[in-house]
Amino acid sequence: MQEGVTLIVITSLVCGLAVGFLLHRSDFCVTGMFRDFFLFRDARMLRILFFMIVVSMALVHGACGLGLIAYYPFPLLGAMSLTNVLGGVLFGIGMVLAGGCVVGTLYKMGSGSVLSTVAFVGLLAGSALYGEFHPAWAGLTKRLAVFGPAKTVPEFFGLDPSALIIPALLLGMVVVWVWAKRGQLILPAHADGYIQPWLSAVALAVIGLVSYIVVGMPLGITMSYAKMGSTVEAWFAPDHVASLAYFQGKGLSYIPPFADSPVVGGAGPGFDGVGAIQYPLVGGIVLGAFLSALLLREWKLHYRVPARQYVSVVLGGALLGMAARMVPACNVWHLWGGLPILAGQSVLYVVGLFPGAWIGSIVLKKYVVRGA
Amino acid sequence: MTERKERIHELDIRGQICPSCLLISLKAVNSHRQLLISGGEIHILTDNRQAINTIPGSVHNMGYHTEIVKSKGHYCIEIRKT
Repeated sequence: MQEGVTLIVITSLVCGLAVGFLLHRSDFCVTGMFRDFFLFRDARMLRILFFMIVVSMALVHGACGLGLIAYYPFPLLGAMSLTNVLGGVLFGIGMVLAGGCVVGTLYKMGSGSVLSTVAFVGLLAGSALYGEFHPAWAGLTKRLAVFGPAKTVPEFFGLDPSALIIPALLLGMVVVWVWAKRGQLILPAHADGYIQPWLSAVALAVIGLVSYIVVGMPLGITMSYAKMGSTVEAWFAPDHVASLAYFQGKGLSYIPPFADSPVVGGAGPGFDGVGAIQYPLVGGIVLGAFLSALLLREWKLHYRVPARQYVSVVLGGALLGMAARMVPACNVWHLWGGLPILAGQSVLYVVGLFPGAWIGSIVLKKYVVRGA
Repeated sequence: MTERKERIHELDIRGQICPSCLLISLKAVNSHRQLLISGGEIHILTDNRQAINTIPGSVHNMGYHTEIVKSKGHYCIEIRKT
Protein backbone atom coordinates (compact mmCIF):
# COMPACT_ATOMS: atom_id res chain seq x y z
CA MET A 1 0.00 0.00 0.00
CA GLN A 2 1.29 3.43 -0.85
CA GLU A 3 2.42 5.66 1.99
CA GLY A 4 -0.32 8.27 1.56
CA VAL A 5 -3.01 5.64 1.90
CA THR A 6 -1.40 4.14 5.00
CA LEU A 7 -1.47 7.57 6.59
CA ILE A 8 -5.17 7.88 5.73
CA VAL A 9 -5.99 4.48 7.21
CA ILE A 10 -4.15 5.25 10.46
CA THR A 11 -5.62 8.75 10.75
CA SER A 12 -9.15 7.47 10.15
CA LEU A 13 -8.76 4.70 12.70
CA VAL A 14 -7.38 6.99 15.42
CA CYS A 15 -10.04 9.63 14.67
CA GLY A 16 -12.72 6.92 14.82
CA LEU A 17 -11.53 5.58 18.18
CA ALA A 18 -11.52 9.07 19.71
CA VAL A 19 -14.90 9.95 18.19
CA GLY A 20 -16.53 6.73 19.43
CA PHE A 21 -15.18 7.24 22.94
CA LEU A 22 -16.32 10.88 23.13
CA LEU A 23 -19.75 10.24 21.63
CA HIS A 24 -20.42 7.54 24.19
CA ARG A 25 -19.14 9.49 27.19
CA SER A 26 -21.18 12.60 26.35
CA ASP A 27 -24.07 10.68 24.76
CA PHE A 28 -23.50 13.05 21.89
CA CYS A 29 -26.48 11.93 19.85
CA VAL A 30 -27.31 14.31 17.00
CA THR A 31 -30.63 12.53 16.48
CA GLY A 32 -31.50 13.13 20.13
CA MET A 33 -30.60 16.81 19.77
CA PHE A 34 -33.22 17.33 17.07
CA ARG A 35 -35.77 14.87 18.47
CA ASP A 36 -35.76 16.24 22.01
CA PHE A 37 -36.17 19.73 20.67
CA PHE A 38 -39.47 18.65 19.12
CA LEU A 39 -40.59 16.20 21.81
CA PHE A 40 -39.62 18.08 24.97
CA ARG A 41 -38.81 21.59 23.74
CA ASP A 42 -35.35 20.81 25.08
CA ALA A 43 -32.78 22.76 23.06
CA ARG A 44 -29.79 22.16 25.33
CA MET A 45 -28.00 19.70 23.07
CA LEU A 46 -28.99 21.59 19.94
CA ARG A 47 -27.09 24.56 21.39
CA ILE A 48 -24.04 22.35 21.81
CA LEU A 49 -24.38 21.32 18.17
CA PHE A 50 -24.50 24.96 17.12
CA PHE A 51 -21.44 25.61 19.28
CA MET A 52 -19.60 22.78 17.56
CA ILE A 53 -20.44 24.15 14.11
CA VAL A 54 -19.11 27.58 15.15
CA VAL A 55 -15.89 26.05 16.52
CA SER A 56 -15.45 23.97 13.35
CA MET A 57 -16.04 27.03 11.21
CA ALA A 58 -13.37 28.99 13.10
CA LEU A 59 -10.87 26.11 12.96
CA VAL A 60 -11.38 25.32 9.27
CA HIS A 61 -11.30 28.96 8.26
CA GLY A 62 -8.16 29.53 10.32
CA ALA A 63 -6.48 26.45 8.85
CA CYS A 64 -7.45 27.65 5.40
CA GLY A 65 -5.81 30.99 6.06
CA LEU A 66 -2.64 29.19 7.13
CA GLY A 67 -2.68 27.17 3.92
CA LEU A 68 -3.22 23.82 5.65
CA ILE A 69 -6.25 22.85 3.59
CA ALA A 70 -5.54 21.15 0.27
CA TYR A 71 -9.09 21.10 -1.13
CA TYR A 72 -11.61 23.89 -0.72
CA PRO A 73 -14.38 22.95 -1.06
CA PHE A 74 -13.55 19.34 -0.32
CA PRO A 75 -14.01 16.38 -2.72
CA LEU A 76 -17.35 14.55 -3.10
CA LEU A 77 -19.27 17.78 -2.62
CA GLY A 78 -21.66 18.40 -5.50
CA ALA A 79 -23.84 21.20 -6.82
CA MET A 80 -26.89 22.15 -4.78
CA SER A 81 -30.16 20.47 -5.64
CA LEU A 82 -33.62 20.42 -4.11
CA THR A 83 -33.14 16.68 -3.69
CA ASN A 84 -30.74 17.58 -0.84
CA VAL A 85 -33.79 18.93 1.02
CA LEU A 86 -35.90 15.88 0.19
CA GLY A 87 -33.10 13.59 1.29
CA GLY A 88 -32.79 15.60 4.53
CA VAL A 89 -36.48 15.09 5.31
CA LEU A 90 -36.24 11.31 4.83
CA PHE A 91 -32.96 11.22 6.77
CA GLY A 92 -34.62 13.08 9.66
CA ILE A 93 -37.53 10.65 9.82
CA GLY A 94 -35.24 7.63 9.50
CA MET A 95 -32.77 8.68 12.17
CA VAL A 96 -35.45 9.27 14.80
CA LEU A 97 -37.13 5.92 14.10
CA ALA A 98 -33.74 4.14 14.05
CA GLY A 99 -32.83 5.67 17.43
CA GLY A 100 -29.67 7.24 16.04
CA CYS A 101 -28.18 8.54 12.81
CA VAL A 102 -25.51 6.93 10.69
CA VAL A 103 -22.77 7.67 13.24
CA GLY A 104 -24.98 7.54 16.34
CA THR A 105 -25.99 3.99 15.46
CA LEU A 106 -22.31 3.01 15.44
CA TYR A 107 -21.43 4.29 18.89
CA LYS A 108 -24.63 2.90 20.39
CA MET A 109 -23.93 -0.46 18.77
CA GLY A 110 -20.41 -0.41 20.18
CA SER A 111 -21.69 0.34 23.65
CA GLY A 112 -23.92 -2.74 23.56
CA SER A 113 -27.26 -1.59 22.18
CA VAL A 114 -29.03 -4.52 20.53
CA LEU A 115 -31.56 -2.20 18.90
CA SER A 116 -28.81 -0.15 17.27
CA THR A 117 -27.20 -3.34 15.98
CA VAL A 118 -30.50 -4.21 14.33
CA ALA A 119 -30.73 -0.64 13.00
CA PHE A 120 -27.23 -1.12 11.55
CA VAL A 121 -28.46 -4.11 9.53
CA GLY A 122 -31.38 -1.98 8.33
CA LEU A 123 -28.91 0.73 7.33
CA LEU A 124 -26.88 -1.68 5.22
CA ALA A 125 -30.05 -2.95 3.52
CA GLY A 126 -31.32 0.58 2.85
CA SER A 127 -27.96 1.71 1.48
CA ALA A 128 -27.81 -1.27 -0.86
CA LEU A 129 -31.42 -0.71 -1.91
CA TYR A 130 -30.50 2.77 -3.13
CA GLY A 131 -28.47 1.10 -5.88
CA GLU A 132 -31.76 -0.07 -7.42
CA PHE A 133 -33.04 3.42 -8.18
CA HIS A 134 -29.83 5.46 -8.31
CA PRO A 135 -30.11 6.40 -12.02
CA ALA A 136 -33.63 7.80 -11.53
CA TRP A 137 -32.62 9.72 -8.39
CA ALA A 138 -29.48 11.07 -10.03
CA GLY A 139 -31.63 12.27 -12.94
CA LEU A 140 -34.03 14.04 -10.59
CA THR A 141 -31.11 15.58 -8.71
CA LYS A 142 -29.81 17.02 -11.96
CA ARG A 143 -33.24 18.37 -12.93
CA LEU A 144 -33.70 19.99 -9.51
CA ALA A 145 -30.22 21.53 -9.43
CA VAL A 146 -31.83 24.93 -9.74
CA PHE A 147 -28.98 26.85 -8.13
CA GLY A 148 -26.43 26.34 -10.86
CA PRO A 149 -23.00 24.76 -10.51
CA ALA A 150 -21.97 26.56 -7.27
CA LYS A 151 -20.95 24.24 -4.42
CA THR A 152 -20.91 26.75 -1.59
CA VAL A 153 -23.15 29.66 -0.63
CA PRO A 154 -20.37 32.26 -1.08
CA GLU A 155 -19.63 30.77 -4.50
CA PHE A 156 -23.33 31.03 -5.39
CA PHE A 157 -23.30 34.75 -4.62
CA GLY A 158 -19.96 35.20 -6.34
CA LEU A 159 -18.25 36.21 -3.09
CA ASP A 160 -14.97 35.37 -1.44
CA PRO A 161 -15.66 32.76 1.31
CA SER A 162 -14.45 35.18 4.02
CA ALA A 163 -17.09 37.75 3.04
CA LEU A 164 -19.80 35.46 4.37
CA ILE A 165 -17.92 33.22 6.79
CA ILE A 166 -16.42 36.00 8.92
CA PRO A 167 -19.82 37.69 9.60
CA ALA A 168 -21.44 34.27 10.21
CA LEU A 169 -18.64 33.41 12.57
CA LEU A 170 -18.94 36.67 14.51
CA LEU A 171 -22.70 36.27 14.81
CA GLY A 172 -22.28 32.68 15.94
CA MET A 173 -19.70 33.66 18.53
CA VAL A 174 -22.00 36.30 20.00
CA VAL A 175 -24.81 33.75 20.32
CA VAL A 176 -22.49 31.21 21.94
CA TRP A 177 -21.10 33.85 24.28
CA VAL A 178 -24.63 34.74 25.46
CA TRP A 179 -25.46 31.08 26.08
CA ALA A 180 -22.18 30.53 27.90
CA LYS A 181 -22.82 33.54 30.11
CA ARG A 182 -26.24 32.17 31.01
CA GLY A 183 -24.65 28.82 31.84
CA GLN A 184 -26.67 27.13 29.08
CA LEU A 185 -23.76 25.15 27.70
CA ILE A 186 -23.23 23.15 30.89
CA LEU A 187 -25.49 20.14 31.33
CA PRO A 188 -26.44 18.29 34.50
CA ALA A 189 -24.26 15.20 34.90
CA HIS A 190 -25.20 12.09 36.86
CA ALA A 191 -23.80 9.34 34.63
CA ASP A 192 -20.36 7.93 35.47
CA GLY A 193 -17.42 9.21 33.44
CA TYR A 194 -19.57 11.87 31.81
CA ILE A 195 -17.71 14.37 29.65
CA GLN A 196 -19.49 17.70 29.29
CA PRO A 197 -20.79 17.81 25.70
CA TRP A 198 -19.24 21.23 25.02
CA LEU A 199 -15.82 19.71 25.71
CA SER A 200 -16.55 16.84 23.35
CA ALA A 201 -17.81 19.36 20.81
CA VAL A 202 -14.43 21.13 20.84
CA ALA A 203 -12.57 17.82 20.60
CA LEU A 204 -14.81 16.60 17.76
CA ALA A 205 -14.26 19.85 15.85
CA VAL A 206 -10.49 19.40 16.22
CA ILE A 207 -10.74 15.77 15.04
CA GLY A 208 -12.78 16.94 12.04
CA LEU A 209 -10.07 19.43 11.21
CA VAL A 210 -7.35 16.77 11.49
CA SER A 211 -9.30 14.67 8.99
CA TYR A 212 -9.72 17.65 6.67
CA ILE A 213 -5.98 18.39 6.76
CA VAL A 214 -4.64 14.83 6.55
CA VAL A 215 -7.31 12.99 4.54
CA GLY A 216 -8.35 16.04 2.55
CA MET A 217 -12.01 15.70 3.59
CA PRO A 218 -14.13 15.96 6.73
CA LEU A 219 -15.27 12.80 8.50
CA GLY A 220 -17.71 10.81 6.39
CA ILE A 221 -18.90 7.22 6.39
CA THR A 222 -22.11 6.82 4.43
CA MET A 223 -20.60 5.54 1.20
CA SER A 224 -19.04 2.69 3.13
CA TYR A 225 -22.51 1.61 4.28
CA ALA A 226 -23.48 1.17 0.63
CA LYS A 227 -20.18 -0.63 0.13
CA MET A 228 -20.83 -3.04 3.01
CA GLY A 229 -24.42 -3.49 1.85
CA SER A 230 -23.42 -4.24 -1.75
CA THR A 231 -20.66 -6.60 -0.54
CA VAL A 232 -23.20 -8.66 1.40
CA GLU A 233 -25.69 -8.50 -1.49
CA ALA A 234 -22.98 -9.69 -3.87
CA TRP A 235 -22.58 -12.91 -1.86
CA PHE A 236 -26.15 -13.83 -2.76
CA ALA A 237 -26.71 -12.09 -6.09
CA PRO A 238 -23.34 -11.26 -7.67
CA ASP A 239 -24.73 -10.84 -11.17
CA HIS A 240 -27.41 -8.45 -10.04
CA VAL A 241 -24.95 -6.28 -8.10
CA ALA A 242 -22.64 -6.26 -11.11
CA SER A 243 -25.53 -5.04 -13.28
CA LEU A 244 -26.25 -1.94 -11.17
CA ALA A 245 -24.59 1.24 -12.36
CA TYR A 246 -24.27 2.70 -8.86
CA PHE A 247 -22.04 -0.13 -7.69
CA GLN A 248 -19.80 0.20 -10.75
CA GLY A 249 -19.23 3.92 -10.39
CA LYS A 250 -16.15 5.40 -8.78
CA GLY A 251 -17.52 8.52 -7.16
CA LEU A 252 -14.30 9.22 -5.32
CA SER A 253 -11.16 10.17 -7.21
CA TYR A 254 -8.68 12.64 -5.79
CA ILE A 255 -5.05 12.95 -4.76
CA PRO A 256 -4.89 13.06 -0.93
CA PRO A 257 -2.81 15.90 0.58
CA PHE A 258 0.10 13.64 1.56
CA ALA A 259 0.09 11.29 -1.42
CA ASP A 260 1.37 11.54 -4.95
CA SER A 261 -1.07 9.31 -6.76
CA PRO A 262 -4.88 9.39 -6.86
CA VAL A 263 -7.12 7.45 -4.49
CA VAL A 264 -10.15 6.06 -6.27
CA GLY A 265 -13.22 4.36 -4.86
CA GLY A 266 -16.94 3.77 -5.05
CA ALA A 267 -19.91 2.10 -3.41
CA GLY A 268 -19.42 -1.30 -5.03
CA PRO A 269 -18.05 -4.43 -3.34
CA GLY A 270 -14.32 -4.78 -2.75
CA PHE A 271 -11.70 -2.74 -0.95
CA ASP A 272 -10.74 0.56 -2.55
CA GLY A 273 -10.18 4.22 -1.64
CA VAL A 274 -13.59 4.54 0.00
CA GLY A 275 -12.87 1.46 2.10
CA ALA A 276 -9.43 2.80 3.06
CA ILE A 277 -10.86 6.08 4.32
CA GLN A 278 -14.18 5.01 5.79
CA TYR A 279 -13.84 1.41 7.06
CA PRO A 280 -11.20 2.31 9.69
CA LEU A 281 -13.39 5.22 10.79
CA VAL A 282 -16.48 3.01 11.11
CA GLY A 283 -14.55 0.31 12.98
CA GLY A 284 -12.83 2.92 15.17
CA ILE A 285 -16.12 4.50 16.28
CA VAL A 286 -17.62 1.13 17.23
CA LEU A 287 -14.45 0.08 19.04
CA GLY A 288 -14.00 3.44 20.80
CA ALA A 289 -17.53 3.31 22.19
CA PHE A 290 -17.07 -0.34 23.15
CA LEU A 291 -13.92 0.49 25.14
CA SER A 292 -15.63 3.46 26.81
CA ALA A 293 -18.58 1.33 27.94
CA LEU A 294 -16.31 -1.49 29.02
CA LEU A 295 -14.16 0.82 31.16
CA LEU A 296 -17.30 2.11 32.88
CA ARG A 297 -18.61 -1.44 33.31
CA GLU A 298 -21.70 -0.44 31.38
CA TRP A 299 -21.39 -2.84 28.47
CA LYS A 300 -24.33 -5.20 28.63
CA LEU A 301 -26.76 -6.55 26.06
CA HIS A 302 -30.47 -6.02 26.63
CA TYR A 303 -32.60 -7.58 23.95
CA ARG A 304 -35.92 -7.81 25.80
CA VAL A 305 -37.53 -4.72 24.43
CA PRO A 306 -41.01 -4.30 22.93
CA ALA A 307 -41.29 -5.85 19.44
CA ARG A 308 -42.55 -2.60 17.92
CA GLN A 309 -39.20 -1.01 18.73
CA TYR A 310 -37.41 -3.68 16.68
CA VAL A 311 -39.76 -2.94 13.79
CA SER A 312 -39.07 0.77 14.17
CA VAL A 313 -35.29 0.46 14.08
CA VAL A 314 -35.28 -1.91 11.09
CA LEU A 315 -37.59 0.28 9.01
CA GLY A 316 -36.05 3.51 10.31
CA GLY A 317 -32.56 2.13 9.66
CA ALA A 318 -33.45 1.14 6.09
CA LEU A 319 -34.99 4.55 5.42
CA LEU A 320 -31.95 6.22 6.97
CA GLY A 321 -29.52 4.17 4.88
CA MET A 322 -31.42 4.95 1.71
CA ALA A 323 -31.73 8.64 2.59
CA ALA A 324 -28.01 8.85 3.40
CA ARG A 325 -27.33 8.00 -0.24
CA MET A 326 -30.09 10.27 -1.54
CA VAL A 327 -28.96 13.38 0.39
CA PRO A 328 -26.06 12.38 -0.16
CA ALA A 329 -24.12 11.89 3.13
CA CYS A 330 -25.03 12.37 6.78
CA ASN A 331 -25.10 14.58 9.87
CA VAL A 332 -21.39 14.32 10.55
CA TRP A 333 -20.37 15.13 7.00
CA HIS A 334 -22.80 18.02 6.59
CA LEU A 335 -23.04 19.50 10.09
CA TRP A 336 -19.41 19.62 11.00
CA GLY A 337 -17.89 19.23 7.57
CA GLY A 338 -20.12 21.12 5.17
CA LEU A 339 -21.79 23.84 7.23
CA PRO A 340 -18.46 25.29 8.46
CA ILE A 341 -17.57 26.13 4.85
CA LEU A 342 -21.20 27.02 4.05
CA ALA A 343 -21.51 24.18 1.56
CA GLY A 344 -24.77 24.57 -0.35
CA GLN A 345 -25.76 20.90 -0.09
CA SER A 346 -25.29 21.04 3.68
CA VAL A 347 -27.48 24.12 4.08
CA LEU A 348 -30.27 22.52 2.02
CA TYR A 349 -29.87 19.26 3.93
CA VAL A 350 -30.42 21.03 7.26
CA VAL A 351 -33.52 22.73 5.83
CA GLY A 352 -34.94 19.24 5.27
CA LEU A 353 -33.60 17.71 8.47
CA PHE A 354 -35.73 19.81 10.84
CA PRO A 355 -39.15 18.88 9.42
CA GLY A 356 -37.95 15.30 9.00
CA ALA A 357 -36.97 14.99 12.67
CA TRP A 358 -40.28 16.60 13.62
CA ILE A 359 -42.29 14.03 11.62
CA GLY A 360 -40.14 11.22 13.01
CA SER A 361 -40.73 12.41 16.57
CA ILE A 362 -44.50 12.40 16.08
CA VAL A 363 -44.45 8.87 14.64
CA LEU A 364 -42.11 7.68 17.40
CA LYS A 365 -44.28 9.02 20.19
CA LYS A 366 -47.50 7.81 18.66
CA TYR A 367 -46.57 4.33 17.47
CA VAL A 368 -43.22 3.22 18.86
CA VAL A 369 -42.86 4.21 22.50
CA ARG A 370 -45.80 2.79 24.37
CA GLY A 371 -46.27 1.70 27.92
CA ALA A 372 -46.00 2.89 31.48
CA MET B 1 -38.73 -3.63 54.79
CA THR B 2 -41.14 -5.93 52.94
CA GLU B 3 -43.82 -3.32 53.28
CA ARG B 4 -41.47 -0.78 51.78
CA LYS B 5 -40.75 -3.06 48.85
CA GLU B 6 -44.43 -3.39 48.07
CA ARG B 7 -44.64 0.31 47.72
CA ILE B 8 -42.08 0.43 44.95
CA HIS B 9 -43.24 0.57 41.36
CA GLU B 10 -40.39 -0.69 39.20
CA LEU B 11 -39.97 -0.09 35.48
CA ASP B 12 -37.28 -1.80 33.40
CA ILE B 13 -36.43 0.29 30.35
CA ARG B 14 -32.98 -1.15 29.71
CA GLY B 15 -32.09 -1.49 26.05
CA GLN B 16 -35.09 0.46 24.80
CA ILE B 17 -35.05 3.06 22.05
CA CYS B 18 -34.44 6.71 23.00
CA PRO B 19 -36.27 8.58 24.42
CA SER B 20 -38.41 5.78 25.89
CA CYS B 21 -36.82 6.32 29.24
CA LEU B 22 -37.82 9.94 29.66
CA LEU B 23 -41.26 9.51 28.07
CA ILE B 24 -42.14 6.47 30.16
CA SER B 25 -40.71 7.95 33.36
CA LEU B 26 -42.70 11.16 33.06
CA LYS B 27 -45.84 9.19 32.30
CA ALA B 28 -45.23 6.92 35.29
CA VAL B 29 -44.71 9.84 37.65
CA ASN B 30 -48.02 11.30 36.51
CA SER B 31 -50.00 8.09 36.72
CA HIS B 32 -48.55 7.03 40.09
CA ARG B 33 -48.92 10.35 41.82
CA GLN B 34 -50.88 8.80 44.71
CA LEU B 35 -48.16 6.24 45.33
CA LEU B 36 -45.50 8.95 45.49
CA ILE B 37 -47.58 11.26 47.70
CA SER B 38 -48.22 8.45 50.17
CA GLY B 39 -44.49 7.79 50.51
CA GLY B 40 -44.05 5.15 47.79
CA GLU B 41 -41.31 5.13 45.17
CA ILE B 42 -40.87 4.62 41.46
CA HIS B 43 -37.67 2.86 40.40
CA ILE B 44 -36.53 3.14 36.82
CA LEU B 45 -33.90 0.73 35.56
CA THR B 46 -32.04 2.18 32.60
CA ASP B 47 -28.77 1.92 30.71
CA ASN B 48 -29.30 5.13 28.79
CA ARG B 49 -26.69 7.69 29.78
CA GLN B 50 -28.65 10.63 28.44
CA ALA B 51 -31.75 9.67 30.42
CA ILE B 52 -29.70 9.45 33.60
CA ASN B 53 -28.77 13.08 33.12
CA THR B 54 -32.15 14.40 31.97
CA ILE B 55 -34.69 12.53 34.12
CA PRO B 56 -33.64 13.99 37.52
CA GLY B 57 -34.11 17.55 36.25
CA SER B 58 -37.51 16.85 34.66
CA VAL B 59 -38.76 14.93 37.70
CA HIS B 60 -37.46 17.63 40.01
CA ASN B 61 -39.49 20.19 38.05
CA MET B 62 -42.57 18.09 38.82
CA GLY B 63 -41.79 18.42 42.51
CA TYR B 64 -40.12 15.09 43.28
CA HIS B 65 -36.72 13.98 44.44
CA THR B 66 -34.45 11.51 42.65
CA GLU B 67 -31.51 9.41 43.63
CA ILE B 68 -29.32 7.50 41.21
CA VAL B 69 -27.80 4.17 42.13
CA LYS B 70 -25.51 2.30 39.76
CA SER B 71 -25.32 -1.47 39.88
CA LYS B 72 -24.29 -4.28 37.53
CA GLY B 73 -23.94 -2.23 34.39
CA HIS B 74 -27.11 -0.20 34.68
CA TYR B 75 -28.52 2.67 36.67
CA CYS B 76 -31.56 2.77 38.92
CA ILE B 77 -33.29 6.13 39.19
CA GLU B 78 -35.28 6.21 42.43
CA ILE B 79 -38.09 8.74 42.44
CA ARG B 80 -39.80 9.79 45.66
CA LYS B 81 -41.45 12.80 47.21
CA THR B 82 -39.20 15.52 48.51
